[in-house]
Amino acid sequence: MSTYVYGITAATHPSLPEGTGGVGDPPRGVRILKEGDLAAVVSDAPEGLRPKRRELLAHQNVLSEVGAEGCVLPMRFGSVAPDDRAVTGVLAERAEHYAERLGALDGRVEYNVKATHVEEAVLHHVMAQNPEIRALAESNRQAGGGTYETKIQLGEMVAAAVKGKEAEDATALERALEPTADAVSVGPESTGWLANVSFLVKREVADDFLEAVERARGEMPHLEVRVNGPLPPYSFVEPGPAEPAGTAAGGADAGAG
Amino acid sequence: MTVVPAQQSGGGGGSSGLYDVLELVLDRGLVIDAFVRVSLVGIEILKIDVRVVVASVDTYLRFAEACNRLDLEAGPRKDPGLPDLVGEMTESGARGKSKGALSGAAETISDAFKQARDDGGSEREPQSRPRARKAAPSRRKEEQE
Repeated sequence: MSTYVYGITAATHPSLPEGTGGVGDPPRGVRILKEGDLAAVVSDAPEGLRPKRRELLAHQNVLSEVGAEGCVLPMRFGSVAPDDRAVTGVLAERAEHYAERLGALDGRVEYNVKATHVEEAVLHHVMAQNPEIRALAESNRQAGGGTYETKIQLGEMVAAAVKGKEAEDATALERALEPTADAVSVGPESTGWLANVSFLVKREVADDFLEAVERARGEMPHLEVRVNGPLPPYSFVEPGPAEPAGTAAGGADAGAG
Repeated sequence: MTVVPAQQSGGGGGSSGLYDVLELVLDRGLVIDAFVRVSLVGIEILKIDVRVVVASVDTYLRFAEACNRLDLEAGPRKDPGLPDLVGEMTESGARGKSKGALSGAAETISDAFKQARDDGGSEREPQSRPRARKAAPSRRKEEQE
């Protein structure tokens, strides 16, 4: 029986969700595999597991339950080990690395921020700032909409200007939010948001972070800003270039309620 | 259950906003070489769907139309002053009808998700929309349309 792995945490984690429903239909019960100072949160892996909504939810639910009470290194969805022993083997082999990561991320959660333009608002911006676009739009309008070619020409200019504005706003948003974060991880560009940025935030300053989001919303009303969190630190499990030095401090500062 | 007040509860509230969290769950998180990953074939398609193709003829035409509409709504103003326009923007722009390539992305995801869900047969169906709304007040109007 292969083993589905949700995440890695400290063996001393105060409330491991043993028995919680995990992936599969019916949901497979969550089990805990301990090895030294570490514990893996696992369940049996159902046959033919696919990335369906309910499975993704189950994965995220188990992790948010673990993450609510203590630090967890979340696995990417769909990680399956041949058996339990393979899991404990990995824990033993890389114990030091995982312990270091758990220490670095302790008391911290991830907030993911996605932003899109409110289209009409950004078009107003673009028109207001670009006389050339304004002139062409005007002449098209007077010509009853313009020819196919002039429409394309206008659209192309607008698209370029909107793209420029996207980059500008993404930077502005990131700048506005990063002061309250310990680390920043910029997500892939290809997913259809002008900004898709994750912030690693200490639990005790989560309110400050959310206030910064509100301020940013107020200052940039042409952006639609969506925040998701607190989440397990999906984007910060591996030390990356965005990680500042000295994150190992902190300890059990969140107190975990 | 959770000590952090936020839009999404830390414990068990994961049903919310899943499609925003989706790519984190799928693309980030720890990967261990010794483990295999389940096939994400359906998800790859979803990711391509999500892309906003700004550089396409369709987009150009749509932008051109949008600019025409914009002008008509704003009145025949040949040389609109900057402050004027910006004022209008905050007033009417933010709550205007702004569906299209830009905001359409989110819908593409939810559609794709719906598909995946239907595909999955009798699955429980947590609401993702209301939660997304809660997280982004400026979206409210848009979603009612």
